[in-house]
Amino acid sequence: MTMDKKTIRFTVNKEMVEVTVEPNALLLNVLRNDLGLAGTKYSCGTGACALCTVLVNGEPILSCITLAMAVEGADITTIEGLAQPDGTLDPVQEAFLDHGAIQCGYCTPGMVLMAKDLLNKNPHPTESEIRGHISGTLCRCTGYTSIVRAIKSLSK
Amino acid sequence: MINTHILKAEFEYLAPRSLAEALDLLDKFGADSKIIAGGTDLLVLMKKEIATPAHLINISRIPGLSLIREDEGWLRIGAAARWSDIVRYCASRRQYAALAEAASSIGKVQVRNMATIGGNLCTASPAADSAPALLALGSQVKLVGAGRERTLFLEDFFEGVRKTALGPKEIMTEVLIPPVPKDTGSAFAKITRVGVDISKISCAVSVSRQGFRCISCRIAMGAVAPTPLRIKGAEETAAGKEVSAALLEDIGRKVAGEIKPITDIRSTAEYRRAVAGVLAGDVFGKAWRRAEEQ
Repeated sequence: MTMDKKTIRFTVNKEMVEVTVEPNALLLNVLRNDLGLAGTKYSCGTGACALCTVLVNGEPILSCITLAMAVEGADITTIEGLAQPDGTLDPVQEAFLDHGAIQCGYCTPGMVLMAKDLLNKNPHPTESEIRGHISGTLCRCTGYTSIVRAIKSLSK
Repeated sequence: MINTHILKAEFEYLAPRSLAEALDLLDKFGADSKIIAGGTDLLVLMKKEIATPAHLINISRIPGLSLIREDEGWLRIGAAARWSDIVRYCASRRQYAALAEAASSIGKVQVRNMATIGGNLCTASPAADSAPALLALGSQVKLVGAGRERTLFLEDFFEGVRKTALGPKEIMTEVLIPPVPKDTGSAFAKITRVGVDISKISCAVSVSRQGFRCISCRIAMGAVAPTPLRIKGAEETAAGKEVSAALLEDIGRKVAGEIKPITDIRSTAEYRRAVAGVLAGDVFGKAWRRAEEQ
């Protein structure tokens, strides 16, 4: 079996990174283990829960079923990339705090990125559009009401 | 217990830059290799050690393979086109309403940003949401490889549960939708437990009308047989008839009689048979009303 390692480059949170990975390396694990970005969460590992969501070229995808080699050259945003370098939180993060939209916090990185994605594309989402966009991104505390409220507060 | 945290499988990763290069790789490795695009199905099967390819050939960056374009009235969708792109393309084109409805109901936002039309068809799940819509629109698929190029009607492409006519050295390159005649409407609907779940049953209809009469129609169902399929008996029942509540009931009865549903974790054969006719009647009615609006 040829499990040739390969050095690949991509951008994470506006910073160019270079990692040497095997073909079976998953983006999720490269982010968490090689790059120390543990904000992205592992949960189901089969693309069902969406807690491993990151933005690749501005679009949310599931990092637990994405090969690292497949994102060579891509522009990736993880939850760590949302706050300003001085620690000022993104408005979406502020809204989640203000509305108590975080219980155990495990779905929060994926949920915040989905909210960010929705608001980037549609600054005035209705409640049904919000629910549609985050459906499939699972919160096992079932704290959806406050999550929807937080996102709604940013709908201009 | 399988550790889904990692992908344990060992394989060679290949990223060809052209279709010719991909076909060469496929020719070399054949059945030991697998084509990958979005990976939403294949990587899960590999984690579960159900699929064990020695070589993965990623076709998602081959230029042109994800194009969506119109050509002399035909809609040509590259096999590596992602569902989110198809949703965007079809949103303002009412002649493809059934495809727009099916595409936007596939998985969730993240999955639609990854999964492709070719992947959905080549995976050949009986419950593939795109299949009934594409069958109802009379779609064909283009297969290239092993020194030839062929175009099949989608109904001839599906051979069984996860079985297709695709040879080990072939790649699906395009899905072709023929020109939609005037006064034709289409619709798709499915029944699921929760929004992002796999369908218990799905249905798509395309119908051409003249006044109160149905000139011709295609009725396709998913998750009611080993493959998504057209219900030819029901189509014949409707052809040339005046559309009425009684006709919709007749169509429903034909549909219920022709399908071969099974009982599985998502539903029972009895339930599927009971709702199939109602669903087909409803979807036919919706397509019918759209035909008038066209």
